[in-house]
Amino acid sequence: MEATLNVLSTGDLGISTSTDGVWDKVCLAYPLLTSNELPEECPDDDNVLKEINELKLNTFVEDIVICRIEQIMRQKITPEFWGRFSGRKTEIDGFERFKGAVDYLYSSLASFLSTVEKLEKLRFISRFNRVIYGEDTLLGAFKVIMTSTLLSQLPLTHQVITEDFYKVSFKVFCNTDKSEADQDESTEDVVQCGGCSHEIEHCRCQTILSVFHETNRKLIELDLLERLAGEVITSLIHIRIENHVQESCKGSFDTSYISSLESWLSTVVLGWLTHVYSGNAASTQSSIKKFHQKISHFLYETYTRTRIEQLFNIIIEYPDSQPAVEDLRICLQKTDLRLYLTQKLQRALETRLLHPGVNTPDVLTAYVAAIRALRQLDPTGVLLETVTQPVRQYLRWRDDTVRCVVSSLTEEGPSELADELVRGEALQLDEGTPLDEDMANWETWNPDPVDADPSKTSKSRRTSDIISMLVNVYGSKELFVNEYRTLLADRLLSQFSYNTEKEIRYLELLKLRFGESQLHYCEVMLKDVYDSKRINAHLHSDPNFNLDRQQFPSMAMILSAQFWPPFKEETLELPSFVKEHLQIYTKAFETLKGNRTLSWKPHLGSVNIDIELKDRKINLTVSPTHATIIWHFQTKNQWTVEELSQLMHVPATVLRRKIAFWQSQGMLREVSTDSFLLVEESATRSRCPVAPDMVCEDEETESAMASAHDQREEELQVFWSYIVGMLTNLDLMPLDRIHQMLKMFASQGPTAVECSLQELRHFLDRKVREHKLLFSGGFYRLPKS
Amino acid sequence: MCTTSIFKYLPGWTGVATWRWVANDDNCGICRMAFDGCCPDCKLPGDDCPLVWGQCSHCFHIHCIMKWLNSQQVQHLCPMCRQEWKFKE
Ligand SMILES: [Zn+2]
Ligand SMILES: [Zn+2]
Ligand SMILES: [Zn+2]
Repeated sequence: MEATLNVLSTGDLGISTSTDGVWDKVCLAYPLLTSNELPEECPDDDNVLKEINELKLNTFVEDIVICRIEQIMRQKITPEFWGRFSGRKTEIDGFERFKGAVDYLYSSLASFLSTVEKLEKLRFISRFNRVIYGEDTLLGAFKVIMTSTLLSQLPLTHQVITEDFYKVSFKVFCNTDKSEADQDESTEDVVQCGGCSHEIEHCRCQTILSVFHETNRKLIELDLLERLAGEVITSLIHIRIENHVQESCKGSFDTSYISSLESWLSTVVLGWLTHVYSGNAASTQSSIKKFHQKISHFLYETYTRTRIEQLFNIIIEYPDSQPAVEDLRICLQKTDLRLYLTQKLQRALETRLLHPGVNTPDVLTAYVAAIRALRQLDPTGVLLETVTQPVRQYLRWRDDTVRCVVSSLTEEGPSELADELVRGEALQLDEGTPLDEDMANWETWNPDPVDADPSKTSKSRRTSDIISMLVNVYGSKELFVNEYRTLLADRLLSQFSYNTEKEIRYLELLKLRFGESQLHYCEVMLKDVYDSKRINAHLHSDPNFNLDRQQFPSMAMILSAQFWPPFKEETLELPSFVKEHLQIYTKAFETLKGNRTLSWKPHLGSVNIDIELKDRKINLTVSPTHATIIWHFQTKNQWTVEELSQLMHVPATVLRRKIAFWQSQGMLREVSTDSFLLVEESATRSRCPVAPDMVCEDEETESAMASAHDQREEELQVFWSYIVGMLTNLDLMPLDRIHQMLKMFASQGPTAVECSLQELRHFLDRKVREHKLLFSGGFYRLPKS
Repeated sequence: MCTTSIFKYLPGWTGVATWRWVANDDNCGICRMAFDGCCPDCKLPGDDCPLVWGQCSHCFHIHCIMKWLNSQQVQHLCPMCRQEWKFKE
């Protein structure tokens, strides 16, 4: 900027002697040329300007005066100004320093004004004009010189006291604003002013505000506000917004905050900004408007981020958190944080949900809540699909997922899933080819969001059916139905109630979902229970069968084995008199049904017994194993586990668990390891403390059925012989070919087994790992033996 | 010697049993389905889809053998042993 003038140096200007007089006059007109102090007022006399014009020295004089202004600015004012920015002690000290610096700058610059005016006058007289530093007025050029000189010497720490200044005043401003709003509530014992931190009597808020006002006015006049303080103001506002958002919506999800945040922004923050820009000038208005847009976007972004951080908890609390979800939905449209949300939520799900410490029902509950919340957040379903992908994958790995889903589907009492089931929609499964979208509504069609999976139809995503989503975790109805069957079997065989109305009702609901044919087996199971009741009644009412004259009434649950899930193979040698009774029952059944007979499962059943000891009588309903154990204590009051195990054909581990029940009842006592004594008198019992909670918990939930996993393994083994046969003949086969062949051969006949391509691949891969198969180039083959 | 009577009285014993046909095979020779299940046309086993025996001692789902016999125009033969089919009394 000094390119044209740097040959000159004041005080030693090489001006010829003939113009000596003129030089003195020039110095008189522009006193700053000879003074080292801040410039004085220029004299009012304009004659010298005419003389300068006549001598055609006007550009020369203008040049040297500007040069001198630049020099003073550079060497004196700017260092002095920035000098006040260092060595700040406290926030309030910083406030004062900033004010002082601005005051100094303002007054020193004001002293140049008459010089600048004088130069304008010279231009006017000489009818001369030119552009300096892109400005065609000298005042404009002066401002450029000032600003650029100031900024060229900007110290590193200049923001500290600028921040002090605005922080202090912002605090005061917010406080006065607040106290205006809720004056009535302000308590009397407050001694410290919330604004200036002085004692109330010595409150300096008013002073601070007027200083603030005045300083800003000066900065605006100097065109320095944006340059000097813009960044600080923005960051202050950002911090303020962040704090405010954090404070207002910390942990409460049941209220919408958007409108209250917006009104806070436009009253408090914009109010302060208006204060900063003091005044209503048109330029101020537009600056504030621009500012408003920027900070309102920032507000949305901050709020969105906060909600995204809390999203996991919001989901868990759904539907109570509906207002928060709705806020987030609106915010997502105004910001660009969808991807951020996906990543954040996925991470939160992984760290808080998808690990062994969380039990499956809780994972499922969270998943259901996520389905609901995310559907509200994004009705297209895309977000749900992407975000919960890891959850589905994880649930697939958990052994008890299906069981948990099925049991909560048919749970008593309020359960989300049970409610869903009652809604009774048909199952929406992923399987099958994508159908065309509904063409009737093409006018309201909207494209899917960009993060949508193009291989799926948007219709499939839009379905709101939670049970379908859960079933789709496995992608197979069969697995669900099988699990339900096992569950139903357990329930029927543990309750021994012939009253199946409730189960029939559930079955009807499930049939609406899963289809008639899938649940046919369960229908037969329920019919078995119903038929058993009738057969029992019939056999007992007919005297020919001799059942009534027996020592005790024996009843039976008669099952159609083909339709029930496989039973765990267990043995139990019943007391002989019980066996005799069951034999009589079998005879009666054979007589009734002709050509049909019964095979008893001795370990299953329910026994109602009265126990009479010396001092007490107990009535209990227990399992046959329990009953048999205690029955043996009738003939001998002390047994070892080993002895009982041989007598009853029951493994020692099982026996110990069953004996624990009798211990908990105070009937048996362990006198030495694995040796148990009948407690005949409660006097003895009191000496040996009873542990009533000793009933093993798994006793209650123990299943009589082989687990679904075990069953499936067994079924898949059927395939293995087919596969070995195929590969022996054909040598090499790719996966889909094997699948086709299996479909042709293995799925016929009485043991028809379905197997998806996916499942087959897993199965074959496992065989590869076990070195029973080789896999290369997409082909499976048998290893050379 | 134990003096206590534990099973003073046994109010009831409910056992669990599975029923099955007393036949010399597991599966029906016609439909290949288990006897204890039902024929392909039936949904419910047992009373609703009973077995019948021929004098040749072969047995089938009643629905299966009836279908078979109806499809035979000339002679009624047992599909297993080709002897003349006569229902066992
Ligand atoms: Zn048949
Ligand atoms: Zn039939
Ligand atoms: Zn025959």
